[in-house]
Amino acid sequence: MFFDVVAFETKRMLRNFPSLFFGLAFPVMVLAIFGGIYGNEPSDFWDGRGTVDMSVPAYVGLVVAVAGLMSFPLGMVEYRSRGFLRRLKATPARPGLFLAAQVIVNAVISVLGVGLLVGVGVVAFDLHAPAHPLAFAGIALLSAAAMFGLGMVIASLASTEQTALVIANLVYFPMIFLTGATVPLALMPDAMRAISDALPLSYAVEALQWAWVGGGESITVALYVLGGTVAVSAAIAAWLFRWE
Amino acid sequence: MIQAAQVTVRYGQLVAVDHVDLSVAQGEVVGVVGPNGAGKTTLLECIEGLRRPDSGQITVDGLHPQSDRAAMALRAGVQLQHTAFPPRTTVEDICKLFAGFYPKGAGYAELLERFGLSEHRRQLVVKLSGGQQQRLSLALALLGEPKVVFLDELTTGLDPAARRVIWEELRQRNEAGLTILLTSHHMDEIEFLCDHVAVLVKGQIMARGTPAQLVASHSRESLEISGDHGSVRPALEAISGVQLTTTGKRLLVQLDDPALRAKVDEILARHESAAVRPLNPSLEDAYLNLTGEQAHVL
Repeated sequence: MFFDVVAFETKRMLRNFPSLFFGLAFPVMVLAIFGGIYGNEPSDFWDGRGTVDMSVPAYVGLVVAVAGLMSFPLGMVEYRSRGFLRRLKATPARPGLFLAAQVIVNAVISVLGVGLLVGVGVVAFDLHAPAHPLAFAGIALLSAAAMFGLGMVIASLASTEQTALVIANLVYFPMIFLTGATVPLALMPDAMRAISDALPLSYAVEALQWAWVGGGESITVALYVLGGTVAVSAAIAAWLFRWE
Repeated sequence: MIQAAQVTVRYGQLVAVDHVDLSVAQGEVVGVVGPNGAGKTTLLECIEGLRRPDSGQITVDGLHPQSDRAAMALRAGVQLQHTAFPPRTTVEDICKLFAGFYPKGAGYAELLERFGLSEHRRQLVVKLSGGQQQRLSLALALLGEPKVVFLDELTTGLDPAARRVIWEELRQRNEAGLTILLTSHHMDEIEFLCDHVAVLVKGQIMARGTPAQLVASHSRESLEISGDHGSVRPALEAISGVQLTTTGKRLLVQLDDPALRAKVDEILARHESAAVRPLNPSLEDAYLNLTGEQAHVL
């Protein structure tokens, strides 16, 4: 049964242009633009690191953010608002299977998105290998958990697809520019830095960049923030999420 | 097969379903009729296990709809009033999905064929017409070879030919042992399919029986007058127990008591310009009388 549900979700994902575009193509496009402009030579903007070496791990943050904050909650709200989850209640399937399948399918898209990014980085822009590959994988997983957790909160708050789309866009698009993923934080005035510090994805980007390029600065705070985001969003979603 | 006793559902102050008893025997087809808002869907949802009644007991094939949800879902097929399909999915995708839910779900191709959906297998469900979605919803309800089906507004939005196909299909399955509980606004559908009818008004069952019993006991004697009925009208209006309804150029005369017929005939005999046609008593008359709804003036 679970296999059928995953197969069903996979086909729906393959027809989901926005999710595929923002998960697979958009990060590579951004990399192509900034990599094309700056290359991977050591840059003052990035503390002497190459733009591509700093950008790829940051865009990994974008990949998990778009899956967790947009594709995943929109999928859940689609099901709930159309009454499909209610219909499922009258079948032997548990609606939880669909939630699990959505997480799996979006996770697969994220893994493919990261693979594409790294592949293009290596082939086109001389991306260097990560300094701490295992830590990078772990942080990517933690960041994904935080984003999917926030996505679950969005799915709990939004009663219609339109609301979910608006909330997801409001949460996601500022994160592209304000988390250090595309624009170096060093360039930002204090006010914008303050906003950036309030966004969980900023910490994901910071920790992912640390794991990729290595570095002296501590990421303890970032890890606590991401772990806290997972815990708090899980608690809120458990409290607010409704199947119907 | 279905036993519901004293089922009550409240929405705040409103009592949507008020101490309803309903029983459906194995292999029986029972229809619940009533005006919009009478509580038909709410009652059905309780029996389907989608809603917990505030009080009352329900069993379906010996199972409790909510606590035995998984076992019940294997035996009961459901068509909800509002067909609900997710986007970006085809007819075939959703059939395959549902086929995976049931041990006996593999035969969906035949169902699609019978419901005229075969040529739409690869079409996105959201692009289907309302009637096609309705048929798909019914196919999904039947897909697991259930012992009992709950069909909320069975053929709303279907064209006459499609309704016939569905009626025949359900009748065949009923003859093979399927128990059916349905709601409908179409009295022809009820007469065709149902062994028993329950009339629900404001959450309470006003009457129950076979369609023939309801017609015999609740439909009034009616006449239809065409031609010049303006001049007869005042005289008929003067008789108490006679209801007059204008429908287009015709006047519908309904008698609360068959004994009034002589009086009415006497008046009509004096107005030869009015053409009179007695109407066969129908379930629709019985329904309108029971629910207190007036025939809509066209």
